[in-house]
Amino acid sequence: MSKYKISFPHMADYYVPVRYLLSHLMEDAEIMVAPPITSKTIELGSKYSPDFLCTPFKYTLGTIIEALECGANVIVQAGGGCRYGYYSELQIEILKELGYDFTYLNLVSCGKTDIKKIYQMAKKLNPHFSVLKACYYGFITIKMVKYMDQIDHIIRENIGFEVKENSFIHLKQEMLEHFSQVKTYRELFSLYHQYKKKFLNLEIKKPKDYFKVGMIGELYTIMEPFANYQLEYELAKFGIAIKRYTNVQYLLFEKKHEIKKLLRQTSDYIKYKMGADASDNIARAKYFCTHHYDGIIHIKSSFCTPEIGAMPVISKVCSDYQVPVLFFSFDANTSEVGIRTRIEAFYDMLEMRREYEKSISRN
Amino acid sequence: MKKAYLGIDIGSISTKGVVIDSDYHLLASDYIWTEGDPVQAVRTLIDSLKEQLSDDIEIHGIGTTGSARKLIGLMLDANVVKNEITAHAVGTKAFYPDVRTILEIGGQDSKMILLNHGVVVDYAMNTLCAAGTGAFLSSQAKRLGVPIEEFGKLALTSKHPVKIAARCTVFAESDLIHKAQVGYPKEDIVAGLCRSIVLNYLNNVGKGKKIMGPVVFQGGVSKNIGVVKQFEEVLKEPIIVDPNSHLMGAIGIAILSSKQARDNIYPLEFKNITFETKGRECEHCSNHCEILNIYKNQKLIDTWGNKCPRGLQV
Amino acid sequence: MDKIVGIPRSFLYYDHHILWETFLSELRIPYIVSPKTNEQIMRFGQQDSHDEMCLSLKNYLGHVHYLEDKCDYLLVPRVDNYGLYNQTCTNFLALYDIVHNVTNKPILNYNIDYCHGDTEWKGFLKMGLELGKKRAEIKDAYHHAKEKEKEYYDHLIGANYNALNNSKPRILIIAHNYVLYDEMIGLPITNMFQKMGATIIDANLFDQKVALRESRRISSGLYWDTSRKLVGAIPIVEHNIDGIVFLSSFPCGLDSLVNELVMRKIKKPYLNLVVDDISSLTGMETRIESFMDILNVKI
Repeated sequence: MSKYKISFPHMADYYVPVRYLLSHLMEDAEIMVAPPITSKTIELGSKYSPDFLCTPFKYTLGTIIEALECGANVIVQAGGGCRYGYYSELQIEILKELGYDFTYLNLVSCGKTDIKKIYQMAKKLNPHFSVLKACYYGFITIKMVKYMDQIDHIIRENIGFEVKENSFIHLKQEMLEHFSQVKTYRELFSLYHQYKKKFLNLEIKKPKDYFKVGMIGELYTIMEPFANYQLEYELAKFGIAIKRYTNVQYLLFEKKHEIKKLLRQTSDYIKYKMGADASDNIARAKYFCTHHYDGIIHIKSSFCTPEIGAMPVISKVCSDYQVPVLFFSFDANTSEVGIRTRIEAFYDMLEMRREYEKSISRN
Repeated sequence: MKKAYLGIDIGSISTKGVVIDSDYHLLASDYIWTEGDPVQAVRTLIDSLKEQLSDDIEIHGIGTTGSARKLIGLMLDANVVKNEITAHAVGTKAFYPDVRTILEIGGQDSKMILLNHGVVVDYAMNTLCAAGTGAFLSSQAKRLGVPIEEFGKLALTSKHPVKIAARCTVFAESDLIHKAQVGYPKEDIVAGLCRSIVLNYLNNVGKGKKIMGPVVFQGGVSKNIGVVKQFEEVLKEPIIVDPNSHLMGAIGIAILSSKQARDNIYPLEFKNITFETKGRECEHCSNHCEILNIYKNQKLIDTWGNKCPRGLQV
Repeated sequence: MDKIVGIPRSFLYYDHHILWETFLSELRIPYIVSPKTNEQIMRFGQQDSHDEMCLSLKNYLGHVHYLEDKCDYLLVPRVDNYGLYNQTCTNFLALYDIVHNVTNKPILNYNIDYCHGDTEWKGFLKMGLELGKKRAEIKDAYHHAKEKEKEYYDHLIGANYNALNNSKPRILIIAHNYVLYDEMIGLPITNMFQKMGATIIDANLFDQKVALRESRRISSGLYWDTSRKLVGAIPIVEHNIDGIVFLSSFPCGLDSLVNELVMRKIKKPYLNLVVDDISSLTGMETRIESFMDILNVKI
């Protein structure tokens, strides 16, 4: 039994592929999924975080503390661009101050992955670490992320119309369980197709003129349901199909190629990459506006600088195309009642607009 | 018998109720403090409304809105439960069909609703904090020793409103104390406060929104002529304040309930109905959901606050 | 009639004003710089900005508003990075597009992105050509402007070093130059310190190469150019100062992380000031006074 207990911060359901990869590469170590994000997580996180930092910092710090409390001694963090990339240094300082003793492995810094450093680290954690195996399981993990994201697209479009309550959520749980047990890529591939069929065959009641709403925003807050107070699901319950492009598959693999195309499509509004996902979101907003979506919802954490810069432009796009847009800014103590009121009013607004449009076309 | 509809707007500070007939005429209305107990407030309110009504009135629909809309909706068996943004829009539209902008500043929150051809096209609610809401205004009035009723009149007498930082309640308060200590005249501070509320509202709620006339101002703070005057100066638009501006949410929800009324008649008699809420904390996970069980005549009729089905077990 | 270039006195102005002004005068292009930030400019900024933008960006947009009817072009560069570990705040990446969306004024723009080969010289060449000048002319003007800029900063850096010999307490102020030199944000605060008898050491004014290198002693992974230069000043003067003041405009994204990290690593007494609204200066005064008391007792 290895002395290492590896854990990592949570985001949505992506713990499944991460756990899968780590458990195949670090056979000796114990892989521990941090306790699910709850209100205690964010309470812990905000207690030890500087005040006006963006909320993803607080959430990740919270889950790391919870994982360390459960006995983890190695933390793997993904890192990334914008402020995400620099989280780790401050988090390490804060955790040291709190008296935790652990190894911190940051995979991406400055948008670059230091392969050599990671290899040395992996060798230390697992002396039998094999690059060949890492490539193979890495490939399966990437595919797993892709399949999960594709299933999520189907879920978002249909969950609002499900006939049997929670049927989509239960089926997804089942799928994730099967995914985490696959041994080969072929197995994963056939499982994906099986489940895709199952999802498409779930009973739904979709009216002809259902509402379509596009979701854009800052990556962590939009992807982690707890951080946005399950906004997507709450909205879907009104009978709305939801489209969201931001997911791990997009951020890691597609963004590089797509961004130029997106910038070209929005050249009437912006000229440059505006940092993090700001330009992507502006381009998506324009896409939704020109593709008959009924409304757009923009989600971000408080103090998210790139999105704040994008918001005036998004407002302009939406007012040019006369598509309603609703902005949400979440922090650790957003009132749930207020969110609810806003979603309800948003739905009422969509309905009123449609009635008005109908009355115009009748006359 | 005459058909009538009851609309109740239960806010965090005050509870408003109206009874209207099918032509949206006001038959009865009242405005009382919620005092942290919406259930009791609504009982008192309904008693007062009943006294104002003649005997030939039959209530054919009940609508509830405001932050306690769900709870009171259950208690009264309302046929419409809707959020206050929609209620305000519907109410205002009934009296001012051309309205383009509705400004609303209430006790705890503030909103802005933009309409076009009577259709809501955009809206916003305050996101940061309570700075610039009614509660803030009355607490500062108390601090300055000015009765809230005379606050507006006093503000009108000022010629040089003091500049007060209004981004946040804490800053505003310390700034206000400082200005008072330094010795600025009271009317200038009061007028400065009114102005800072207007600027804060336009900066926070109205950011990036195109405000077009006719502009209707409502909510409790609309009764303050000092704030109305500052709005007119800043927006350079005439501001319409309806005599019933504080009741507009209740009127709106009553109108909505009249549109969806079915044939049942509501007795408006709650003396023999017990209505209780019991809060508890769910222990099933570290979410510790605060769960509220709602009992009507000792029977559990609803449970709120649970983030997952485990919270349903009593 | 030549067209007039408008330069907002904020953000990159404080890095490059000598460079810009010399470059434009050498090319005989008339320009106008907005005045020091004042109440009116701040109000403009509040009107045109989003509520959650940082105070400095709000002021920047105020300067843009002020210049709108006084010039033909606005000079708004975009700076992405000066290298992989020399990135900038996302506001600088977005600045061109933010300004472009609040005003219809034509923008004179250049892009700096060393990771993708967009150097400063290329940017100035593009700008010069757009203004209808010849390549040779532009080259001369740029080089001359660069020389003049270096002279100017060498002088300032020298003076900053010499200030270390002045009377105690000597306080190192860590603040982005556009915060520190802004008439409505940083200057009132440095004035307060000076009135109370402190010597101000400006973390912006050290040899840039040395500061960048020294920053690694405090943070190995830091990748923001301005933050690295500021943080790098600490190891340089650590033994010659009595206290450190962190000054930032609310809610600065960089400072929210970097300053918090630095505070945990330094052993000197420090004070963290976040400026949000000018009217709360009274509160600042109390804090500055008590910080000075602490320093004076130690000395």
